[in-house]
Amino acid sequence: METPDSTPPAEAEAYLTGQVVPKASGSDHAEFDPPEPDDDPQAPSGPVWRFLLEPRWLGWHLFVVVAFWGMLWLGDWQFHRAVGGNGLSWAYTFEWPLFAVFGVVFWARTIRDEFHLRRGGVTEADLVAAAMAKTMASLPSGAMLPAGSLPDGMVVQQLEGPNDAAEDDPELAAYNAYLAKLNAEVKGHNKWLRALHS
Amino acid sequence: MRAAALRYRVMAYITGVLIIVVCFVGIPLQVAAHNTFISNDIGTLHGFLYIVYVVVAYMLAQKLKMPLWPTILLLLAGTIPVLTFVVERWMNRTYIAPALAAESAPSQQPVSR
Repeated sequence: METPDSTPPAEAEAYLTGQVVPKASGSDHAEFDPPEPDDDPQAPSGPVWRFLLEPRWLGWHLFVVVAFWGMLWLGDWQFHRAVGGNGLSWAYTFEWPLFAVFGVVFWARTIRDEFHLRRGGVTEADLVAAAMAKTMASLPSGAMLPAGSLPDGMVVQQLEGPNDAAEDDPELAAYNAYLAKLNAEVKGHNKWLRALHS
Repeated sequence: MRAAALRYRVMAYITGVLIIVVCFVGIPLQVAAHNTFISNDIGTLHGFLYIVYVVVAYMLAQKLKMPLWPTILLLLAGTIPVLTFVVERWMNRTYIAPALAAESAPSQQPVSR
């Protein structure tokens, strides 16, 4: 698919008969070997917490701060109404701070999940490849995708032949086990990426 | 999963109905007839049931591993009339039904390359 002479005539479509792999590790995929569980092959440069300063995370922090103070302010407003004689406001006086605390807990959990994911040493490209592999496995063979529908950094690697005895290949079995493991990790933690690609 | 989805749907319908009653019956009554029973008492009831809704919906969102902003939309849906029902249908179509289908067919399809 990526070699010039096998490019389909119509740019608009590409046969999905290959394996979607990350460009970085996928250009010579015959050499692929799944990483050991303990090693960390592509550790990001710099401390892990740097992701907290990315624009989308800053936006999330800002949203939480505004929501938190907004809810406390609403609670304070209800408190003053309650003191002023509106008995119903007592209920809301306690309800708003509760929601504010809930918002902070939610925020903290998103950060904890992301730390979990990044400490695992899994790159975004690996996660996208795992998600795509799962999607492709569910498609009928010969299904078509519009060109440009692959995420950035992904390439389609041609199959040698359809349905050749895949089960007997130990390297392939190891690769599938690796993909299944990645898929489990995607399911567990990668909220942001799923939001971008869903 | 099935139980969490059921809890969410029950709470979505309860809060959804209550907020429609408050907004489209209670507030007109309060304005027109100065009858504050519905807008005050049902309103407070909705306030407390909404806490339950938030907890139940958040637990479902965690189970479904939902992305961040859809989760926020889900939680806020209990406060906006009619939107609760729209979001409930969208939740069912986008997250709950696929998750239940995946649950009943858990075998991972092998990937060939």
